[in-house]
Amino acid sequence: MTPQDLIPIIPELILVLAGLLVLVVEPFLKADKTANVAIALTALLISGAAAVGLSGREQAAFTDMIVLNDYAVFFKVLFAAAGALTVLMSPRYLEASGRHMGEYYALILFAVVGMDLMAASRDLIAFYVGLELMAVSSYLLAGFLRYQVRSNEAAMKYFLTGAFASAITLYGISLVYGMAGTTNYEQVGATLLAGGDGLGVALATALVLVGMGFKVSMAPFHMWTPDVYQGAPTPVAAFFSVGPKAAGFAAMLMVFLTVFEVSRSTWSVLFIVLAVLTMFVGNAFALTQKNIKRMLAYSSIAHVGYLLAGLGALGRAGTDYFAGEAVLFYLAAYTFMNLGAFGILAYLKTQQPATFSYSLAEFAGLGRRSPWAAVLMGLFMFSLTGMPGTAGFVGKFYLFSSVVKADLAWLAVIAVLFSAVSAYYYLRVIVYMFFREPEVEYATKEPISGPLAASLALSAAAVVVIGLLPSWVLDAAQASFGNFFG
Amino acid sequence: MEFGFAEQIGFRALSLLTFLPSLGALIMVLFMRGRPSAYKAAALVASLATFALSVFMLTAFDTSTAAFQFQENFVWIENFGINYRMGVDGISMLMVLLTTFLSVIAIIGSWNYVKDRELAFFASLLVLETGMIGVFTSMDLFLFYVFWEVQLIPMYFIIGIWGGARRIYAATKFFLYTFAGSVLMLVAMLAVVWWYGKESGALTFDILTLQNAGFPSDLQFWGFLAFFVAFAIKVPMFPVHTWLPDAHVEAPTAGSVILAGVLLKMGVYGMIRFCIGFFPEATVNAVPYVMVLSVIAIVYGAAVSLVQPDMKKLVAYSSVSHMGFVTAGLFTFNLQGIEGSVLQMVNHGILTGALFQMVGFFYERTHTREIKDYGGMARPLPIAAAFFSLFVLGSLGLPGLNGFVGEFLILIGLFQYMKVFAVVASLGIILGAAYLLWMYERTMFGELTNQKWLSLKDLNAREILTLAPLAAMSVVIGVWPGPFLEMLHAPSLEIIAKVEPFMAQKQSLVQMASAFLGGF
Repeated sequence: MTPQDLIPIIPELILVLAGLLVLVVEPFLKADKTANVAIALTALLISGAAAVGLSGREQAAFTDMIVLNDYAVFFKVLFAAAGALTVLMSPRYLEASGRHMGEYYALILFAVVGMDLMAASRDLIAFYVGLELMAVSSYLLAGFLRYQVRSNEAAMKYFLTGAFASAITLYGISLVYGMAGTTNYEQVGATLLAGGDGLGVALATALVLVGMGFKVSMAPFHMWTPDVYQGAPTPVAAFFSVGPKAAGFAAMLMVFLTVFEVSRSTWSVLFIVLAVLTMFVGNAFALTQKNIKRMLAYSSIAHVGYLLAGLGALGRAGTDYFAGEAVLFYLAAYTFMNLGAFGILAYLKTQQPATFSYSLAEFAGLGRRSPWAAVLMGLFMFSLTGMPGTAGFVGKFYLFSSVVKADLAWLAVIAVLFSAVSAYYYLRVIVYMFFREPEVEYATKEPISGPLAASLALSAAAVVVIGLLPSWVLDAAQASFGNFFG
Repeated sequence: MEFGFAEQIGFRALSLLTFLPSLGALIMVLFMRGRPSAYKAAALVASLATFALSVFMLTAFDTSTAAFQFQENFVWIENFGINYRMGVDGISMLMVLLTTFLSVIAIIGSWNYVKDRELAFFASLLVLETGMIGVFTSMDLFLFYVFWEVQLIPMYFIIGIWGGARRIYAATKFFLYTFAGSVLMLVAMLAVVWWYGKESGALTFDILTLQNAGFPSDLQFWGFLAFFVAFAIKVPMFPVHTWLPDAHVEAPTAGSVILAGVLLKMGVYGMIRFCIGFFPEATVNAVPYVMVLSVIAIVYGAAVSLVQPDMKKLVAYSSVSHMGFVTAGLFTFNLQGIEGSVLQMVNHGILTGALFQMVGFFYERTHTREIKDYGGMARPLPIAAAFFSLFVLGSLGLPGLNGFVGEFLILIGLFQYMKVFAVVASLGIILGAAYLLWMYERTMFGELTNQKWLSLKDLNAREILTLAPLAAMSVVIGVWPGPFLEMLHAPSLEIIAKVEPFMAQKQSLVQMASAFLGGF
């Protein structure tokens, strides 16, 4: 290791140091945790800014285990944004839940570090370390409300399935190592390519795909998702629905494009089949949910289905990385709209900490009680549906465009029909908020906390700006692939 | 660019026209909360200014050309070749005028209609106007799709919040029907754009470029099908019309006026611009099917109207019938048929808008729409009855009023094209006269069914102000359709020129029909 090696991991170093600082400061703080919130937030902002500052550079570090390129930068910025928005929506929620502790923010920071490493790794071991760092932090976050049964259940479920998935992934990695004798992406890819496709490669491909499929909640490995989202603290569920998912896709894209270049035709078909299945499962079950948190969980599965269609298209498109760019763009768009939707849930929970149960019925008449919350929720719902003028539309437009480009028009037709189905359950939230009157009287409301309001405003602004002027995110997504493969 | 905005009018008239209503809505929402007289006045001013601007644009409009005018163009999303490009030809200009005109009417007409969340209601109407104008002025496929989808949202809220008892069902159905059609159209859009992109090496969503792309037959077939279904839902054509009666009956009056007056026309406009523009070969092959569906819509819509006990539903189903004329006329691909078809869209917008407005005025007084609850209303409401008779007569095609001109031209077109369709369509006119006159007789003439109605007040000045422009337009187009047809002349010839090469090859309906099925 040389001092030069530290440059690519500056964003992560900042986060790690801040995380440790949070833990050191915590014992000195009383009930007011503002200092730790500020530390976490500042670290995430600096980390994101540092990542932006590193864009355009190409460097490999730590004997090629970690690289710095625009692809990694894209995700580092995205993860920092997701982390920051999560931190902003947390303090009031945690206070209302009676568990406001600094460790929470440290765990978020460590999870972001893990996610960063997943996107920046060029080595299966480094990738796995990142994955586990993210996963272990996530298990703890899921169970953070440890006096609540549901939170415990969420942590336990997440831990068991997550550990299982990690083991499967690791088994796949070990097979790859056995066949190639190295863990470096490019070298493995080249060795496997020279050796040709075979049963071993197919098995390794399948194992890694299944393991990662668990992480991103791809059907049929999605079962844990609704329970974990429902039980976890709402800001944490928000974080889970975007961060680890995007990190999973960041790693999958790289691993499958390099390590499993040889089995491209296999995994492409697998992704297409699983995309259809995942879209079906996510949308069909979301239709039946009366609990908004569970509905959003299934909706996140549906969105994974659309993303998988993009991966399928990518596999068929040879050296054309249009579909990969589309996946990146979609992840960015999805991050903001989903964080926004969960942010509204967090807000409503802080309004009625004791009684609010996230049921659809409790949204009745929200348009009158909290017009701003209702309007923003409406915006996020329309964005998730894919209405023009929002980030969700441009995301779908880009993604389905790449699917059509890969001569998979039939798959695009299936995907848009599922989008039409999804309109029903997203609109249902709007129906309750604006078209129905509340069934029960609600207590006078408290003013929204400043940070939460900031989180919602930023998410909404991102959704609208990306929806109307998407070029800068498009350029970033294209640069990510252009520089790496160009 | 010969017909750029700079040469023609000196300012970005189309952008201004499109976003002026939304700007008004924004000002209302930001600065006029809780002051009904202020925001209502602002809504009126915004819509009037938009209308005035659209009329002013006519002075600079060149009717001798089919070219798009007042063009604006700048790069929007470079990576995809998406531009913000606007322009109007005679057909879209006429549709824009209809939109701005009816928006003013809708706002005056619902001045005292809503009591709840009034500001949001007027703001929604204005945002809706932006969406509608945008649909008619876009010259970029992506921009068109954005407006096409965005106008769904305000209409969804108008039906869902201010609608009748089954408003939630109706609003959701309206949204999902259109959305499902639109997303399929989106895939077709992407398919044609990629085909052209691979062919020419550059992505573009420019409508004029794509119209000259010359897509291969199989892409024409699938593209036509996807676009056509999306637009047919909007028109609505038989058998995808089932959302319309629900949406119309549940929508508030202004919603019905705009829905019937403008939104339905967006479907036909889309067919002209995209089905015919992009896929002329598939269009020609599809003519027999479209004709049959149109004629079914004419007769079926009229027959269902005949048995409706509810006035609003009757007018709604009559729309299905009248829009059948419009699609039938368009697909004759002769000059009379096409011009009649587009003019009939305007006529239908005016007359059906007026009929919905009248039903709304009656309902505000009696709180019923059942025909059997009315009777002898001409006695307490003579002015209303007079207006009603004018619109009913216009709608059934009385010479001297506008409905006649459009239907007559369409029938000439149909007759030239194939006599049997003209004969069946005429049956629709006879049925139309029957259900409209019968409704008029049962509601306005005869004995008063309810003595309470005697105390009803006749139309007030504002209500007369709402109806008078509609009545005036009905008479003007009825006796002097020349200027309107003149606007349509050049674009109609353009349409014919587009399909003619493919028409010549196909002799009989059977040949065309089997050629279309060959697409599978």
